[in-house]
Amino acid sequence: MNARVARIAAPLAVGLLFVLGWDLLVRLERMPSYVLPGPLLVAETLWRDGPSLLGSLLVTLRITLAALAAAVVLGGALAILFTQSRLLELSLFPYAVILQVTPIVAIAPLIIIWLKDRVFLSLLVCAWIVAFFPIVANTSLGLNSADRNLVDLFRLYGASRWQMLRYLRLPTALPYFLTGLRISGGLALIGAVVAEFVAGTGGTDTGLASRILEAGYRLQMPRLFAALLLLAATGIAIFAVLSWLSQRLISHWHESVLPPEE
Amino acid sequence: MAGGRGDAPIIALDGVGKRFRSGVEALAGIDLAIPAGGFVSLLGPSGCGKSTLLRIIAGLIPPTSGRLVRGASDLSGRLGFVFQEATLMPWATVWQNVYLPLRLAGKRRDAVAARIAETLASLGLAGFEQAYPRELSGGMRMRVSIARALVTEPLLLLLDEPFAALDEFTRFRLNEDLLRLWQRHHWTVVFVTHSVFESVFLSSRILVMTPRPGRILADLPIDLPYPRDGALRTAPHYTEQCRRISGLLSEAMA
Ligand SMILES: Nc1ncnc2c1ncn2[C@@H]1O[C@H](COP(=O)(O)OP(=O)(O)OP(=O)(O)O)[C@@H](O)[C@H]1O
Ligand SMILES: [Mg+2]
Repeated sequence: MNARVARIAAPLAVGLLFVLGWDLLVRLERMPSYVLPGPLLVAETLWRDGPSLLGSLLVTLRITLAALAAAVVLGGALAILFTQSRLLELSLFPYAVILQVTPIVAIAPLIIIWLKDRVFLSLLVCAWIVAFFPIVANTSLGLNSADRNLVDLFRLYGASRWQMLRYLRLPTALPYFLTGLRISGGLALIGAVVAEFVAGTGGTDTGLASRILEAGYRLQMPRLFAALLLLAATGIAIFAVLSWLSQRLISHWHESVLPPEE
Repeated sequence: MAGGRGDAPIIALDGVGKRFRSGVEALAGIDLAIPAGGFVSLLGPSGCGKSTLLRIIAGLIPPTSGRLVRGASDLSGRLGFVFQEATLMPWATVWQNVYLPLRLAGKRRDAVAARIAETLASLGLAGFEQAYPRELSGGMRMRVSIARALVTEPLLLLLDEPFAALDEFTRFRLNEDLLRLWQRHHWTVVFVTHSVFESVFLSSRILVMTPRPGRILADLPIDLPYPRDGALRTAPHYTEQCRRISGLLSEAMA
């Protein structure tokens, strides 16, 4: 089979089998819909509740994208600072790690209390904390991965620090940064949802996490599943967009995205 | 003209030694003068410190003893270095790679476009300006690397086994190209190799080095007249020279 067809057909077949199995399970075991709704019922609910869920999705998406943007700007800047000053890196990197390994559900309540009137900001900060580390770590690694001989060549031609960064370290780091970005995209979404879970429902402009919580309280399982489905689709879409972006930016030279040999 | 011993040195080493922090003594007591306009080969077994010596000459690492004496001409920005691997920037086109040293010197694109075009043409790279390194063969990548070293019109060109990874056919052709360019432009060349045949074919002088710690075992002028071309490779006086130097090298290893 053609590799390209396989790439689309194979996961599609798995998905189809999964949905069929799910449907069969619900029918044969006569599962009540408040335990496990069948796929048809979920699709129906998604169609009916879609418009109302979409508003919440936009809220979640806004937090996610803002957090990702902040992670790119602050994470990238921090990584560049690290390469310019070893002392700075030594003194700050451990704290970046601490922030990374502390579970976000444990920090989120504090942040939400400290920023109590600014819900959007508090959720954004939580999502940012989850998302920024892969960008810092990967970009730092990339900035320090410049070919040793190229570094010597730049020195030989009297390159300034700025030139070394601009023409050597940044281009070297780009593929690493993009790897970090793809990981962070998914993490930002997770961060945004988890933070909202911790914050609890309430307020008007709430995101998908609040819809999921509500639906759970009211045992509206079909609606809960519909929201979950929407969330998963969003995660996949973010990953796809970022992958496409990587492809665009480095496909002309980097091994990881080169087309198969002709 | 071709680097007889009387020429003023462009750079000289005075009792240079190098001991790395790891404790490895790579070089010991190297005295040598590189005559302006000469084509000098450093010939020695693997690990004898040839690359280290070249990096000291380039000023990339300091010697731990002795000193580097610069000649009258100012070499800053006029030094070309070619590494064993092509060492190109994979994200940049051939043109951008060759433009790099000029860009670092603050030269504008349009001011140097003609010079870059000429350099690329002289190495047979015309038409490949927009290609990326991965689209080139190993030999072509090496040519780009040489073009990048030549585009600054270097006074001193340092080459570290530039053709070691190439097949013999390509290597011969690049040898001849290099000689032709050297004769046209009157640079000084220091060429590291462990091929006796290559060094005899190219050099006006060969420095044979001992195993680690590297010392200069012999300093041999090669009095085959330039221009040299492919026909020389089969000439009896060429093979005679090669035999003599091979003999010296195995003596050095003993
Ligand atoms: N940065 C370094 N730190 C420690 N030891 C080094 C370093 N660079 C080279 N050496 C050691 O110095 C010695 C000479 O190395 P060098 O690379 O100059 O050899 P070479 O003659 O160029 O060998 P080859 O022909 O294989 O390239 C080797 O033993 C090597 O292990
Ligand atoms: Mg070497």
